[in-house]
Amino acid sequence: MEVTMDPLFIAWSYFRRRKLQQCSDICSKILEENPYDQAAWGLKTCALTEMVYIDEVEVDQEGIAEMMLDESSIAQVARPGTSLRLPGTSQGGGPTPAVRPMTHSGRPITGFVRPSTQSGRPGTMEQAIKTPRTASTARPVTSASGRFIRLGTASMLTNPEGPFINLSRLNLAKYSQKPSLSRTLFEYIFHHENDVKNVSGQNALDLAAQATEQAHFKDWWWKVQLGKCYYRLGLYREAEKQFRSALNQQEMVDTYLYLAKVYQRLDQPITALNLFKQGLDHFPGEVTLLTGIARIHEAMNNITSATEYYKDVLKQDNTHVEAIACIGSNHFYTDQPEIALRFYRRLLQMGVYNCQLYNNLALCCFYAQQYDMTLSSFERALALVANDEELADVWYNVGHVAVGIGDLTLAYQSFKLALAFNNDHAEAYNNLAVLELRRGHIQQSKALLQTAASLAPHMYEPHFNLSILSEKIGDLQSSYNAAQKSEDAFPEHVDTQQLLKQLRQHFSEL
Amino acid sequence: MSLFKARDWWSAALGEGEEFDQGCLCVGDVDNSGSGHDKVVVGSYMGMLRIFSPHNSKSSEGGLADVQLLEVQFQNAIIQVEVGKFVSCSELLHLAVLHPRKLSVYSVSGTAGNVEHGDQYQLKLVYEHNLQRTACNMTYGTFGGVTGHHSLCIQSMDGMLMFFEQDSYSFGRFLPGFLLPGPLVYNPRTDTFLTVSSARQLECYKYETLAVATDAESRQDPDLPLKTGGKRLMPDWSLVLGEHALDISVPFFSHSSFHIFVLGERNLYCLRDNGQIRLMKKLEFNPSCFLPYTSVTDGTTNLLLGNHTNMLLVYQDVTLKWAAQLPFVPVALRVANFPELKGVVVSLSSDGHLLCSYMGTDPSFFSTPKVDAREADYEQVDAEMKKLQKFIREASRTQGESLSHLHSIILCPIWITSGLLYYPYLCLQVKVKATRVVQASKMTVTVQPPLAVTQDQFLLEPMGQVVAFSAFLNGHYPPADLTGDISVSYSSPTELNPKGVPRVLQSRFSLPLALVCVQSSPAKTTKFKITVDTNQPPVDLNSIFKEFSAQSEDKDGNSLAFQFLSGAVVTVLASKTSQRYRIQSDSFENMWLVVKELVQRFDQHFSKLGIKDFKKSFSGPMPLQEYFLAVDHHFQLRVSAQQYQDLLSERAIQFRAIQRRLLTRFKDKTPAPLQNLDTLLDATYSQVISLAEAAEENQALLQEAFVQLRSSTHLLVLLLSLWQNLTPDQTSILEATLLPLLQDTPQLGWEESCDAAVSHLLRSCLSRSPKDQATSLAQTGGPVLGLPRDTVRLKKHITLLCDRIAKGGRLTLASEANVQVPAQVQNLAAPGE
Repeated sequence: MEVTMDPLFIAWSYFRRRKLQQCSDICSKILEENPYDQAAWGLKTCALTEMVYIDEVEVDQEGIAEMMLDESSIAQVARPGTSLRLPGTSQGGGPTPAVRPMTHSGRPITGFVRPSTQSGRPGTMEQAIKTPRTASTARPVTSASGRFIRLGTASMLTNPEGPFINLSRLNLAKYSQKPSLSRTLFEYIFHHENDVKNVSGQNALDLAAQATEQAHFKDWWWKVQLGKCYYRLGLYREAEKQFRSALNQQEMVDTYLYLAKVYQRLDQPITALNLFKQGLDHFPGEVTLLTGIARIHEAMNNITSATEYYKDVLKQDNTHVEAIACIGSNHFYTDQPEIALRFYRRLLQMGVYNCQLYNNLALCCFYAQQYDMTLSSFERALALVANDEELADVWYNVGHVAVGIGDLTLAYQSFKLALAFNNDHAEAYNNLAVLELRRGHIQQSKALLQTAASLAPHMYEPHFNLSILSEKIGDLQSSYNAAQKSEDAFPEHVDTQQLLKQLRQHFSEL
Repeated sequence: MSLFKARDWWSAALGEGEEFDQGCLCVGDVDNSGSGHDKVVVGSYMGMLRIFSPHNSKSSEGGLADVQLLEVQFQNAIIQVEVGKFVSCSELLHLAVLHPRKLSVYSVSGTAGNVEHGDQYQLKLVYEHNLQRTACNMTYGTFGGVTGHHSLCIQSMDGMLMFFEQDSYSFGRFLPGFLLPGPLVYNPRTDTFLTVSSARQLECYKYETLAVATDAESRQDPDLPLKTGGKRLMPDWSLVLGEHALDISVPFFSHSSFHIFVLGERNLYCLRDNGQIRLMKKLEFNPSCFLPYTSVTDGTTNLLLGNHTNMLLVYQDVTLKWAAQLPFVPVALRVANFPELKGVVVSLSSDGHLLCSYMGTDPSFFSTPKVDAREADYEQVDAEMKKLQKFIREASRTQGESLSHLHSIILCPIWITSGLLYYPYLCLQVKVKATRVVQASKMTVTVQPPLAVTQDQFLLEPMGQVVAFSAFLNGHYPPADLTGDISVSYSSPTELNPKGVPRVLQSRFSLPLALVCVQSSPAKTTKFKITVDTNQPPVDLNSIFKEFSAQSEDKDGNSLAFQFLSGAVVTVLASKTSQRYRIQSDSFENMWLVVKELVQRFDQHFSKLGIKDFKKSFSGPMPLQEYFLAVDHHFQLRVSAQQYQDLLSERAIQFRAIQRRLLTRFKDKTPAPLQNLDTLLDATYSQVISLAEAAEENQALLQEAFVQLRSSTHLLVLLLSLWQNLTPDQTSILEATLLPLLQDTPQLGWEESCDAAVSHLLRSCLSRSPKDQATSLAQTGGPVLGLPRDTVRLKKHITLLCDRIAKGGRLTLASEANVQVPAQVQNLAAPGE
């Protein structure tokens, strides 16, 4: 039996249940009949925004323009432990690169892939363009807006007839006076149109500025939005000012997160840490704040503190995947594979079901001497791969395990497969070189090591191996050069130092 | 993500295709049985009202019918149901049902059945109100501090609050600044109403303020300014949340934990009565509904929270205590007491799944799917492994041997040679045949620049096909080589590998000379001359170059001239008496194609005649000076390319510096004059652009120069081999030495790589003493190759190379293998310096 109901009510109910497409469709119908229905217009705007909403706190990608035209670099030579940009300014406590691999920006590999965990910071524009990336793209992100443009195109898909709101025709001053519409409109412009500041001057920033004025500078929300706009425009100091002012008015978790993000971008991790702690005083046990602290500690090579905070996170929310994964990987790299195994198994029980997890499980099983599970986990990981890079990583690990059990043929084939799937896999090149050397193929081994070294200059292994190899065949000069590179990549490596010492002694005897 | 799922105690699927939302579920002892056990009341948007008294159905097999007390179909949609004391002078609980345009209050009564079939339940209408406006939700409570019974407040879709005191309508008020309705709740402690408006702020209205404000009936348009006669309605306090709210709840457990809870779209707030934030939690998921249900320890509140990832979360304040998985996204949550079990979580999904559950340690639904692993038949696996390893061994041993029997390319060279006078082109037809189906076959055609083809990539049919394209000269200078390459890549699927093994097949073809030059009249005086001797009587040139002889004026076949498209003329003269041929031209490099063609055609001609001992020779001296002109020209262009690049990067740095300056200026709060920085920016920009254009031009010139250099080098190699009568092996070594690159790159150019190769030859097989050979081999890694300062060294080396070859040096790679690598490294000066 059909029961008639008010279409606006139905749309409102759909919106609450997040059936956003249906909600938007019904609103479109209402608007067709009555184009001036403000309620339907507002609801549709909300629904369209909600479809593409991404928490601004998590969006963090530094484009090449941000990196190079950034004039707020403060100290070129920061004191140890005060900067995120200088690798190797660790306060100790973390495992060495001999145990835990590094990303090429000099930070240890983390257990959870987030935006900006993989980006390095090149010194000059030329270097930025030329630097090969370990990620699959060969170039750095050309600009942060690239991502936003891609998100923005989603709006065209949802509206085949064209954009829902023609921004250039809006009278923003009028809307900024209507508190019931202005916030909705702002979020639409910010998230759906991604139009922070365009040529015509009709934009989110203007709206936010006018609305703040309307609210007599007493509305914390508009200040936060203003700060978000400034942040996207790269005006970090202005953003900081707005966020600070918003915090004075009303303590909010999001404001703390945004402000800390600004400080991280300004390379002031200590200030960010203090801010997070201040936030924790107001909102004790807030998971996002704790996670923020842990991430900063991790980025600064202070793994012990990071783990402490991740544990705090788990005390508040024991289903936090990031915390579990990071603690797990930390245990793995500090030689406790059995404990790491328990963390990863918990993730599995919680329903995380992907290639990476099985890969990690397999490695943990192997190092925990549960050989029966190792290969079947790898089998599952291989069945679950999403792209060639993952496949290469899994095969690389299979090769590693094969080396461990002494099956060099399998290892050789696995590394070959890893390279077949990802031609830039420096670690596989290095290990393959070692296997070739064992077979006595010196030239091939050398070529592979050189490839590895050029692909991943941040790894010390290929340099060191090349150094040893050159020394064995009597090419002391190359050996010395390679050893120096190895020392640059990993200054504390004892073997490199011994080799260098030996070489220097040899040279002085000549 | 959770370890456990909510344990299913009782569940039912209500109706088919019915819709439910937040207000559609309520629990309470609606039939006033007095036992304190709750009944579950569910109304749907399709107008069905159902009342359940769930119990664990293990004992009886009645299923739904046994549990369902009542089912009534209404004419209108039910958007909210509430249980409360809605009838005056009655302490009994009644059921209020909100339809879009009507509010009805019913009493539910049960009469004990006479027979075993159970009790009979009835729904009796107590009173109803027809509404003027479309309702959206309602709340109830002891408004104004009245005890004993509950009043109702209905919010309409256009923002009017309508108050009902039992069976009478008291008053209606419009909310200020209204656009879309938000959740509405009554706070009995402060006698206020709470709602989240479209301005995304939590607003609190006092009941007495509402009561004395302007009557809604007196004005039609809520946007018009207020008339006199009532106070303007202002919220008691408001708090900006910045987000929509899904629900508000004001639970009462004890005096120490009495707070307002607001569930936003992204945050959960807990507020004090005066609107200060007590607690706040950022949610990392999309919540769907929540319910504060009890206070376990003093000062804290426990709440249930459902989200859109099918989870039911239990929080104590902000700490997650339990997470359980539900089979659906809940839209409403309640906690109810049933005869057999207390504290059961009742949840309702949007499509009518009603579930009574409790927390338990049943593992979550998720179980890992089985991998389609093959049955481990070890013998079979072993055999397969052996087979595969055999394949691998064979493949790595016999590298380079292609399995071309699967596939063949047949090249039908020319079938039309036509075209305009100056721009001839050539149609080519390539036939690709496959003996079996191959996948993803692609054909690529490459010719040497400045030659070009109309299409260089083709997708082929699985069984091969015939493709046609044409080749033409795309430039005003002749190419260094008239050969082209065709490669076909394909994959041939096998049983074990359905995707196929990638394979490549290659074939080479050569284009005719007529493509780049035409016949013309011989030139008498020229700059460069080359004389080739033979040991056979002179031949008629017209018979050898048949296609060029058509318009020849010279009937005796003594001379023939070729004009290239660039205008250069190459003349071939045959001596009438001696067995010599002279090739002469104004440009050294253009002679190469003609000389090559001549030598080839002589070979063909005499082998056709059956003459075995045909010999051709060149008596020297080597035209090195002419050759070095081409080298210098090329080198000069490379140097200027380097200069352009340096200038360009300098200007780019300058441009960025100005940009940065400008940016600071524009960012400044107090506007400062630009001080002509914009003019500077414009100027730098135009400089960059003109530099880039010049660099591009230079690039084109460089390409041409390189082609000419290659032509000259080819000619030099040919002459060297004719001069010293080198074997084909030696010629190929020489060619590899002098032409190490097919293309110039900014990083590595011809000069340095050629120099390295030549000096290696000089040090190894062409060196004077074997000791030199030995020492040179020990130096494995030389310095990094880079653009040399000048070409003097290179020229010296090439001259030396010619000398040594003339003195009988043999080009061979074999000697290297025999020499022992000495232990000690010596630094010797390179020979020739």
